Amino acid sequence: MIEKRNLFILVVTLWTGFVAPAAAKSGDPDAGAEIYTQFCIHCHGEEGDAVTETADRLNPPPRDFTTAQYKIKATDFEDDFPNDLDLFRMIRDGMPGSAMPGWSDVLSDQQIFDLVAYIKIFAGLEEEELGPSMEYGEQIAISAESIEQGKRLFHEGDRCSECHGKEGRGDAIKGLKDDAGFRTWPRNLTKPWNFRASNDPKDIFTRISTGIPGTQMPAFADPTSDKQLTAEERWHVANYVNSLAKTERVVRPENTVVKADHVNGELPDAVDDPLWEKTEPSTFFLVPQLIGEERFFTPSNDTITARALYSDTEFAILLEWDDRTKSIPGDETAEKISDPEIAEDGVAIQLPVKIPEGSEKPYFGMGDATNPVTIWHWKSGTTDTPQSVNLINATGFENIEQRDAASLSITAQGFYQDGTWRVIMKRPRSGVDKEKDIELIEGKAIPIAFAAWDGSNSEQGSRHTMTAWYWLLLKPDIGARPIVSAAFAGFLVFGVLLWWQRSASSKRATKDV
Amino acid sequence: MRKIPRLLQAVLVIGFVYAAFVVVFDVFLEQVIPASLLTMYMFFVIAGVFMVFTFTEESTRELVAPIKALVEDPSRKAIRNIVFAVLPLAVAAYTYFSTLPSYQAPVELRSIHPAPPSTVRAFEKRYDLLTLENPFRKYEKEDPEKFKQLVVEGGNVYTSNCQFCHGDKLDGKGPYAQGLNPVPLNFQDVGTIAQLQESFLFWRIATGGPGLPKEATPWSSSMPVWQKFLTEDEIWKVILYLYDYTGHQPRSWQHD
Repeated sequence: MIEKRNLFILVVTLWTGFVAPAAAKSGDPDAGAEIYTQFCIHCHGEEGDAVTETADRLNPPPRDFTTAQYKIKATDFEDDFPNDLDLFRMIRDGMPGSAMPGWSDVLSDQQIFDLVAYIKIFAGLEEEELGPSMEYGEQIAISAESIEQGKRLFHEGDRCSECHGKEGRGDAIKGLKDDAGFRTWPRNLTKPWNFRASNDPKDIFTRISTGIPGTQMPAFADPTSDKQLTAEERWHVANYVNSLAKTERVVRPENTVVKADHVNGELPDAVDDPLWEKTEPSTFFLVPQLIGEERFFTPSNDTITARALYSDTEFAILLEWDDRTKSIPGDETAEKISDPEIAEDGVAIQLPVKIPEGSEKPYFGMGDATNPVTIWHWKSGTTDTPQSVNLINATGFENIEQRDAASLSITAQGFYQDGTWRVIMKRPRSGVDKEKDIELIEGKAIPIAFAAWDGSNSEQGSRHTMTAWYWLLLKPDIGARPIVSAAFAGFLVFGVLLWWQRSASSKRATKDV
Repeated sequence: MRKIPRLLQAVLVIGFVYAAFVVVFDVFLEQVIPASLLTMYMFFVIAGVFMVFTFTEESTRELVAPIKALVEDPSRKAIRNIVFAVLPLAVAAYTYFSTLPSYQAPVELRSIHPAPPSTVRAFEKRYDLLTLENPFRKYEKEDPEKFKQLVVEGGNVYTSNCQFCHGDKLDGKGPYAQGLNPVPLNFQDVGTIAQLQESFLFWRIATGGPGLPKEATPWSSSMPVWQKFLTEDEIWKVILYLYDYTGHQPRSWQHD
């Protein structure tokens, strides 16, 4: 029912997104100023220049209204500025993937237009004649043919793949900066929840047509560009980009359990082994580490996907996450595109040392004094050192014991391709030391948490992304029990019915005699 | 008018009550009725219907007559064969699916507003929560200009520290909220800070998740231990901001 409600909200949002309001209303800048002071100054600043304490902790940073440069506009590509409706929509619907929320539940349409009138003053736009919304031509419905056409245009002459990458993960051109000098990345098109407008083909069409001002995203409606696309072609590309979101690596909030399948014999070493394909993936949100010194505010990774397998003796987990950069310290290209200090990429899983019997677990931030955790931490290596895996036992941030992963036969191997890391970690199900190593018992819900480091985003040590506690379950072999019970119940009912019918008819026969 | 057979009546009554439960809870109250609760309710409903419909011997006979006829009447052979095939299969299928393991996460219960301790240690001091008051609250009446300034300062502390999870609009929907479990509190909700004293908030902010008692699962709360990152004054200012922004009033001993 909750989902139905979300669907309802979505439908209403989409409906209002396209239908209302049809035209911009004029706003009262004085009323807007009051609203601005109440809700906006903490990020955008009293002067509208986004020079605030908060701004330093936000990536992307809050908009500096004094520049008049806005990324999301639906005016023609030749217009420098968005129009009132564009600004209205950014405030009403917010900017997904940033800290800007939608304000429709707090402010009325009129109040939002008041705000629009006010923020235009910061850049002297209030006198400017702003352009109308662009021409959309005839929208082409989503279809297999259209998506196929779009795919061809996307890759033709490296038109879009030049930056967005072969698989659309935004991994091709690295280390871009916007006009204000902030680091920007081509959008990972397989993650539509970060699209600043939305994943609707019409919004994608708008971005393709008019570009994203202030960034390297060009306007493909521009006839002077050698990569220009007709309106019809842009609809095909929009439909293709929309289709890229349909991956199985999306967060399903109701799925909090990594379910490990049982395998007879050896567990796979290769990431493309068909056994992994058959295993159900579980994807979780990664959030930056904000609970211990040093806190981290500007992450680049936002999800991680896990699949697990186990045999009678061994356990293996495949971790996948999108990372636009393969960060190898010492590597010339990697160094060039990195933030000042490059570190290795990394990933870790955290498990309790003892599977909890009751509800009490170790503290999710590296355990606590009474409940230790064990952490397997893989690192991508440098030009001088190969990939490595560390074994850590901890009872809190400050109490860390580095152990020898080899002594426990933990192995980890990572593979990087087209903007995705895939790392397989393996360990025997039984540990060496009962006081320090978890016994991976099938059929028990085992707390598990994840962490990831993007070395090109200055992530190392406590600067990383992480998850809350989730669950790992080695799915017990159920054998023939359900089949046997089902057959038993079915035959029992059938037998009782038959006996009833038989005894009734034999009674009748006796009576007849 | 033709009389509806007693058996069909009974089935209809049960079906109607079941549908009513689902409609009232799921649709009108928007609160999905837990399966275990529904099972319990339906047990009583079925037992009640059965008692009413078998009140006299005659009514009992009327109730079971169609079933008896189906099994025993030689003229109903065709339909009987169908029922004899379908019913055992249905029971078998039900048994099969209910014996399959679901691999669901274990159910975890947690108290959202645990009882506060009488004293709290933070900032290397001991606070008595019964008498602890927000030192800036008095300016609301004494010096409104200064109070307004304190609220703005609290807002700056909030947006650069708290909004990541609790949200710009204090609705518990910050950019990282969906990655947390348990989810961040929604301060707009009348069931959160509107029910609490400022001293309770001070305790919850200063000692964070790890400062919770066990019934509130301190091991899973993502709330940082803010005495590590904020000063005492900053915490009190944030508290002013929370109440000012949402329009809620803190509970206090005087007004209650």
